[in-house]
Amino acid sequence: MWLSILGLLLGISLGLLTDMQIPPEYANYLSIAVLASLDTLFGGIRAHLQQVYDDKVFVSGFFFNIALAAGLAFLGVHLGVDLYLAAIFAFGVRLFQNIAVIRRIILAKWAEKKEVRETI
Amino acid sequence: MKKKIFTRFTAILFLIGLMTAIQYNTINEPDRRDTRDVWEVRQELSREKKLHSQLLSEIGTLDETLDKYNTAADESPEQALRETAGELRNAVGLTETTGPGFEVLVEPSMEAVALGLEIEGISPDLLIRLVNEINRYDALYVSIDGKRIINTTSIRDINGQTSVNAKPVETPPFSIKIISQSIDDSEKLYNHLLASRILDDFYIDNMSLTVSVPQSDMVIEAYDGTIDTKYLQAIEGE
Repeated sequence: MWLSILGLLLGISLGLLTDMQIPPEYANYLSIAVLASLDTLFGGIRAHLQQVYDDKVFVSGFFFNIALAAGLAFLGVHLGVDLYLAAIFAFGVRLFQNIAVIRRIILAKWAEKKEVRETI
Repeated sequence: MKKKIFTRFTAILFLIGLMTAIQYNTINEPDRRDTRDVWEVRQELSREKKLHSQLLSEIGTLDETLDKYNTAADESPEQALRETAGELRNAVGLTETTGPGFEVLVEPSMEAVALGLEIEGISPDLLIRLVNEINRYDALYVSIDGKRIINTTSIRDINGQTSVNAKPVETPPFSIKIISQSIDDSEKLYNHLLASRILDDFYIDNMSLTVSVPQSDMVIEAYDGTIDTKYLQAIEGE
């Protein structure tokens, strides 16, 4: 687990230290991409906790979600409809659901452990 | 198997971190655009030009002083030093100064007198505004109610009384004396003050400004306090 957090810190510090920037017009797409990747990440964690984790689904989901969200936003810009809101809404809802499920699973595990300890 | 999962998670988290950081950079550091229009740029340019010419004239006077030192060094260095000290004292405001200028009389307005309103002292804000207005048109020396304005002069409210150099200003009428570089500058300032909106500001406070015609030998009192140089430090090197 610590390895993953190290990866996150590494990414953030690399981004901040290199002072990379993208044109402001594309900031929308990047924000959606961040949201999509967060969604995939929490989906992956949930799947892992529910013992249904599949490597292919996880990795393909990551890239596919990002591409779909960015594509939707792009289409929205050209059609004059704020389609990226749809992506934000979908990802946001799923994010909350996933986190809720993760919380429940962790709580259940914790309660189980406590019970086991008490019976001993 | 578990290790593989964590490797994947690490890679994804790395990407998320990178994207978040880039997004942060983009949102927080927008390109600083120059939104000034032509007129503002021109004003900036004229300001800089003024500064340029001012610096040039300063260089000129300093060169002159240097020449004087050079020529006077053999004859009497003391005389040259004394002259410079005198000039500096003059510039700071420690000596009585005579020059082309005029007088501004601050009086209670006629309406206030006719209505029998109580005459209140001038407010520091208004006085500061007036001094700024005067300085805008290149006044050299100014004194308010006999109190010479120098670099460290404060205009503020002390115990309900407007004070200049920590001495209270009388309730109107009192006079403000102004000396400019030349009689032309004086005329300019005079005309500017006559047409200035500051007259309205004074009128709101039940006061009127009477500006006298410029004359060539206006006398302004010396600064009578001591100048505190406690926090002054010599510049190192040249």
